[in-house]
Amino acid sequence: MFRSLFLFDVTFWLYLAAVCLYFGYLMASRAILQLAPAGHSTVSDDNGWAQPLGQLATWVTFFGLVVNGLALGARAYERMQISGTFAPWSNQFEAMAYVSFAIIAGYLLLELKYGIKAIGAFVVSIGFIAMGAASLLPYRYQTAEPLVPALNSYWIYIHVSITLTSYAAFAMAGGLGVMYLLKERAERRGMATTSVYATFPSLEKIDELGYKAVMVGFPLLAFGTILGAMWANYAWGGYWSWDPKETWALIVWLIYGAYIHARMNRGWEGHRAAIYQIFGLLMVVFCFWGVNFLLSGLHAYA
Amino acid sequence: MDAITKQTEAAKPFSFKEFGDALTEFFSSLKLAIFLMITLAILATVGTVIQQGERPEVYIKEYGESAYWWFVKLGFVDIYHTWYFSTILILLCINSLTCFHQRFPAIWRSIRQDKVNVTAPFIQNLKRSATVDLVADRGQVTESLGMAFAERGYRVLVNKGETETTLYATKGIMGRVAAHVAHLSVTIIVAGGLLGNVWGFRDFGVCLEGETYHIPQGNFDLHVDKFWIDYYDNGAVKSYNSTLTVIENGESKLTKTITVNDPLVYKGIWFYQSSYGDSWDRVEKARVVVREKATDKVVGEAILDWKKEAVLKDLGLKLQLTDFVADFGFDAKGRRVYSKTVEHENPAIKLAITEQEHQLPPPWIFYNYPDLFDIQGSKYKFELTGYLTKKFTGLQIAKDPGVLIVWGGSTLLVVGVTLSALIYHRRVWAKVVSEPRGVTVYLGGTAYKGQIDFDREFERFAERLKAQGKPTV
Ligand code: HEM
Repeated sequence: MFRSLFLFDVTFWLYLAAVCLYFGYLMASRAILQLAPAGHSTVSDDNGWAQPLGQLATWVTFFGLVVNGLALGARAYERMQISGTFAPWSNQFEAMAYVSFAIIAGYLLLELKYGIKAIGAFVVSIGFIAMGAASLLPYRYQTAEPLVPALNSYWIYIHVSITLTSYAAFAMAGGLGVMYLLKERAERRGMATTSVYATFPSLEKIDELGYKAVMVGFPLLAFGTILGAMWANYAWGGYWSWDPKETWALIVWLIYGAYIHARMNRGWEGHRAAIYQIFGLLMVVFCFWGVNFLLSGLHAYA
Repeated sequence: MDAITKQTEAAKPFSFKEFGDALTEFFSSLKLAIFLMITLAILATVGTVIQQGERPEVYIKEYGESAYWWFVKLGFVDIYHTWYFSTILILLCINSLTCFHQRFPAIWRSIRQDKVNVTAPFIQNLKRSATVDLVADRGQVTESLGMAFAERGYRVLVNKGETETTLYATKGIMGRVAAHVAHLSVTIIVAGGLLGNVWGFRDFGVCLEGETYHIPQGNFDLHVDKFWIDYYDNGAVKSYNSTLTVIENGESKLTKTITVNDPLVYKGIWFYQSSYGDSWDRVEKARVVVREKATDKVVGEAILDWKKEAVLKDLGLKLQLTDFVADFGFDAKGRRVYSKTVEHENPAIKLAITEQEHQLPPPWIFYNYPDLFDIQGSKYKFELTGYLTKKFTGLQIAKDPGVLIVWGGSTLLVVGVTLSALIYHRRVWAKVVSEPRGVTVYLGGTAYKGQIDFDREFERFAERLKAQGKPTV
């Protein structure tokens, strides 16, 4: 009945392939480095598997993104048929598929700008996990039931999509945090240039990119939450009712607010920032999943 | 004389100025900001884990009696309205205002005036720096550097000396101004919220179709013209709708059909479609079956409209539906029938019966217990076999004079936070020193954040500078 489900499945497999390719790329880069003569610890371009694997990884990821986009488009069409509203992020499943879309799109932009493929192994993995978790949801969560009256509003287009995009940015920061800690450990063990970590960018760069990702997510979450408040003012008779979901959005936002200010003068950069980014991501995951399934409230739309 | 005054000052154990400075220091500190944000986050988390504003039984059942006692003591059952939660919020406002007061003037001043003349060691000590020897003319190098900065959107200031020229280029100070706009906006939002709490109200009203209600806060009346539900093809509810008319001084002023996402606003009072239900004290219609007592045969049937007399001519009956309760209860003291709950657990109607022009004492007739009472003085038995409920519409009525302030603050917050994320403050200095053969250029810069992008930009400046020397060789 829902053709989009097939496309979502294809997306899942493409992302899985992309993750494997990015890890393959990391492994292959290591091989080149070990063969290279001492003192020449740069990745050579015309030798070995690293280059083609990296290229393929990027293309497969891009293809996955296109299919992901088509799946969301198909879902929008199906929604239009059923209920006359199209937002393809109207339930938990669709929201997660959209988050993975945003993560992957963000990653490809990052790769386009900085050309650091090693990040793909971490960030594309998170996009893949989001898609995988979505497809693990029971079938009844994956269908396009018409919207209940409270959600049937044009606010859902902008409020939900912006909030979800901010989650994607925080997910990216979390992935970079993991990468930072791994690289740091490798450096401590003196294997940062010889193992799979060879193509990792410098610690400083990873740290800075993580901070950038947070600085994308922070304004988006502020905007998304405020849009939610405006919607609530139309739908529930008050812009803020301390409903668990909106409260958790505020909590997450405050957590990242503390992060931004802690970086500024307490010198929470590098190691601590990386751990904090991972912690932040866990909070986002709770806000996104935990609240919907564990706490009850006005937002429980699953 | 002077020395004596100083001594008395030093001996004074308490100085208002010092105390004030310490206080300002404390309230503008980032440490406090971080502490307050984390504390607020933790308190808010407590409020989402423990349900808020429930009845005592709910807590006692889940957490036990003594835990509930503690919850009440600590305010955990309504944590968002406790004094300590509000205090933290107010402290955060004071904190960000003090921060603004302490730091913003310097940033504002630096828009107009900044440190142009610096020494070569200062430049070499900056986070990014390069020293380049060139065989080139000082004026030319200065000009081309100035062009390079300007092309990247920098504002360039030049200070020309006898043997050296200093260039200062800066960009993105607005990012820092924006951060301080965000700081102000937090207080504006909290102030708007406070205003709404003090001068606003929120009420809930159960309203019936066709009735008029007085709204004392606005001194006007609200007439509920209609309430209905729309469905999707698959039977799921699509929308709840109420058509409302505002009546003021006997005149209809405004008619609007409200739905869940589309309230009616009149004189700053908002009417929201909030819920609906089956009325518990009246029905639309009821179906009554009449049996003859002697034969137990059905002899007639009537569909009764609410409080309208129906005539069954061949039976010599006039029937009228005069009352309804959804869950029959009898208050023995007041000798009064009432509905125990709003659920339709034990529905009953009161029937006024006129048989052969003779009025009988009106009996209650039960839907669930058809044979409960024998109606004395009548040939007939009456059974309630069905009824059409009357829907009520649940309206939320609210007024919040602070809401525009909150939206204003929110706009500033979003704009401030977004701009501060997009624009980052960068400063570059270059000192071109004339040497016997050509010039030495000290180039250096710092970025307030966005280091990797700045690195690339700085790299390009340095490349361009190095390229300068070649043609003249
Ligand atoms: C919840 C309220 C707050 C919000 C939303 C907020 C937001 C921001 C943002 C977005 C930035 C820019 C960050 C960057 O450029 O990396 C910033 C910077 C800053 N914040 Fe806050 N902040 C808040 C509260 C505070 C408080 C209470 C203080 C008190 C000390 C503070 C002190 C600062 C300072 C010193 C800066 C650097 C400003 C500069 O000179 O460029 N913030 N803030």
